[in-house]
Amino acid sequence: METTSTLEKILRLIALTLVVIFFMFPIFWIFLMSFQTNETILAIPPSVIFTPTLSNYAALITGKLTTAAGTLDIAFMRNLMNSIFLSVTSVAIALVLGVPAAYAFARHKFKGSEDIAFTLLSFRFAPPLLVLLPLTQYFQWLGLADTYFGLIWVYQLICLPLILWIVRGYFEDISADVEYAYRIAGHSWFATFRKIALPLAGPGIAAAGLLAFIFAWNNFVFALVLASADKQPVTVGALAFVTSSGIQYGQIASAIVLSVTPTLALALYAQRYLVEGLSLGAVKG
Amino acid sequence: MHEKEKDLISAFLRGEVDRRGMLKGLGAMGITAGSAGTLLNMMSTRALAADFDWKKHSGKSLKLLLNKHPYADAMIANLQNFKDLTGIEVTYDVFPEDVYFDKVTAALSSGSTEYDAFMTGAYMTWTYGPAGWITDLKEWINDPEKTNPNYAWDDFLPGVKNSCAWNGQPGGALGSDDAKQWCIPWGFEQNNITYNKAMFDKAGVAVPKNIDEMITAAAKLQKDVGGIYGIGVRGSRSWATIHPGFLSAYSNFNEKDLNLTDGKLSAAMGTAGSKAFHAKWVQMIQESGPKDWSTYTWYQVGTDLGAGASAMIFDADILGYFMNGGDNKMAGQLSYAAFTANPDATASTPNIWIWSLAMSNFSKDKDATWYFMQWASGPEHAIFGATKMDFVDPVRQSVWKDEAFRTKLDKYPGYVDMFDASAAGASIKFTPQPLFFDVTTEWAATLQKMVAKEVPVDEGLDQLVESIDRQLKEAGLG
Repeated sequence: METTSTLEKILRLIALTLVVIFFMFPIFWIFLMSFQTNETILAIPPSVIFTPTLSNYAALITGKLTTAAGTLDIAFMRNLMNSIFLSVTSVAIALVLGVPAAYAFARHKFKGSEDIAFTLLSFRFAPPLLVLLPLTQYFQWLGLADTYFGLIWVYQLICLPLILWIVRGYFEDISADVEYAYRIAGHSWFATFRKIALPLAGPGIAAAGLLAFIFAWNNFVFALVLASADKQPVTVGALAFVTSSGIQYGQIASAIVLSVTPTLALALYAQRYLVEGLSLGAVKG
Repeated sequence: MHEKEKDLISAFLRGEVDRRGMLKGLGAMGITAGSAGTLLNMMSTRALAADFDWKKHSGKSLKLLLNKHPYADAMIANLQNFKDLTGIEVTYDVFPEDVYFDKVTAALSSGSTEYDAFMTGAYMTWTYGPAGWITDLKEWINDPEKTNPNYAWDDFLPGVKNSCAWNGQPGGALGSDDAKQWCIPWGFEQNNITYNKAMFDKAGVAVPKNIDEMITAAAKLQKDVGGIYGIGVRGSRSWATIHPGFLSAYSNFNEKDLNLTDGKLSAAMGTAGSKAFHAKWVQMIQESGPKDWSTYTWYQVGTDLGAGASAMIFDADILGYFMNGGDNKMAGQLSYAAFTANPDATASTPNIWIWSLAMSNFSKDKDATWYFMQWASGPEHAIFGATKMDFVDPVRQSVWKDEAFRTKLDKYPGYVDMFDASAAGASIKFTPQPLFFDVTTEWAATLQKMVAKEVPVDEGLDQLVESIDRQLKEAGLG
């Protein structure tokens, strides 16, 4: 039995190692690419031994990209800042609006509550391409075209339903008796919400916020269609390295490293909440 | 500036002194070639202003939608001259090519007034024009009140200029008398051969002169050089696979995409000549193309050539031009040649891609927009872009005759000869019609099946013809 158990452990370790290598190798390879020039990246056969260079990161930070057709101006850092601003602001607003709404849907049954909740969820179903053209026209009439305000508003289509539904599930998972006990002690419903419900739902709210941030960060098409070049997020900006005079693989790799970093850092920080929040909240309907 | 220098440049602009004489004279006055270019550009702007009321729209503002491209970079580098000349303020949005046409389509289909003019390909105007999204520019070109006398519309290469004009009738000839000028050509690409001379020398292979020689040469290069593949051509499931080398060679055999009979369109790929050509093309890719050919786009074809992974490409000449510079491993080692696929043909007939300027029908000020368009496509900017930036291939005949430009191309061996040999036959070889993207995408998909041996060439083309005829009928075109 002891031998079998050790063998099982070894096999499990090997299997896990292979899985980790399989999933991590592309990321590792991109990380290596970010320190190489196009010439070494495209060398035949490829090699892991090379002279590292910071030129790709320098090009991104200075905004000057050297290609076969000369030096081009690139706005990657601006794109990165746009992504951070749009994602953080959108998630913050969605949390402010979505968490109380989720609490209301979880705790108070009122006429049409399910219809409203499903209407909000349906925003996630609508294919962006279907709603973008009408939105473009509305935005022009309302003066919201090409504004950060307009984009943040549209980003609520991504963030709000996600936060509302995940957090609602989490609120429902908390026993109402705890809140009733607090209310009997003479506290208002708002105080109960603030002092009891919110702290207990903390991990769920963190998980929902993080997921909403990732979805907002990865969005591509809303800003592309609704805003000018100076308001584009990193998902659109990263394509600037694919030029008619060649693909700048090194700069693409370094752009990926830079653009993944904020999300990765957030995900690592909130990993525990993410797993806990999802397993306890989102799957419970 | 000193009077002597001004006089010399003015004499050049009046045609009294040639470019070499002017540069030599300026050199004698201690002015470098770089400074001479700047001075010439400045004086050209002043000369322009002398004959035309460029200030008519002063104080207005325009917004452009541009693709991230060397042509746009050249324009941006020279834009201050336009602002000084006209007093018109110009802003622009530049988007990467991968998403550029999505942005254009979204802006136009929503009737957005944000952009006044934008870059487009001529093929795209076959959709934009009939939809009423862009303006027929003939009204402006033919109006001497609105177009400066030095614009020289006849200076544009005829095949290129005509390729941007269509009467909107499915199958209507490009450049016909009743055609609408949907866009102004800006820069274009001919599809010819760019090859790695060192590899050709190593394998003892001569530049192929027809499709049979190309098949043989590609196979020998692949075998004798080692570690490379013979020829790079595109293969993704897209219209872009059909339009470069493939259609250029196909049309050289006088084969067509569609027939027009009594106003009805029908597929033309089912002829014996077409089947014979397809068989050769498929054989060439199977024997000497890249392993994952069916994923190949502009980028992969170019990258492999620049990295020394392929011996030649049959694609856009400017793709070969770009791969001969920058940090490409093969920079400085590439050469160029015109290609006549049909052994019985007398010259090559490259299909072309034309980056053009179009005017949005939703522009708030079309007259002011035309001021920008005529400047950006005018002879002075064309010379600036071609000699100072990478504005190749220029669309004006005068630029191709310009000595400074031809000298600049010396470091691209064979480029000028390639252009001279094929420019006369260069035009869009597709039949203009609204289902252009459907037809060409299905054509590319059929090619993929043939190369993958999922279907024999004859059978695949019969199926393609049947499918396209059905689609044309359903759309009321066939």
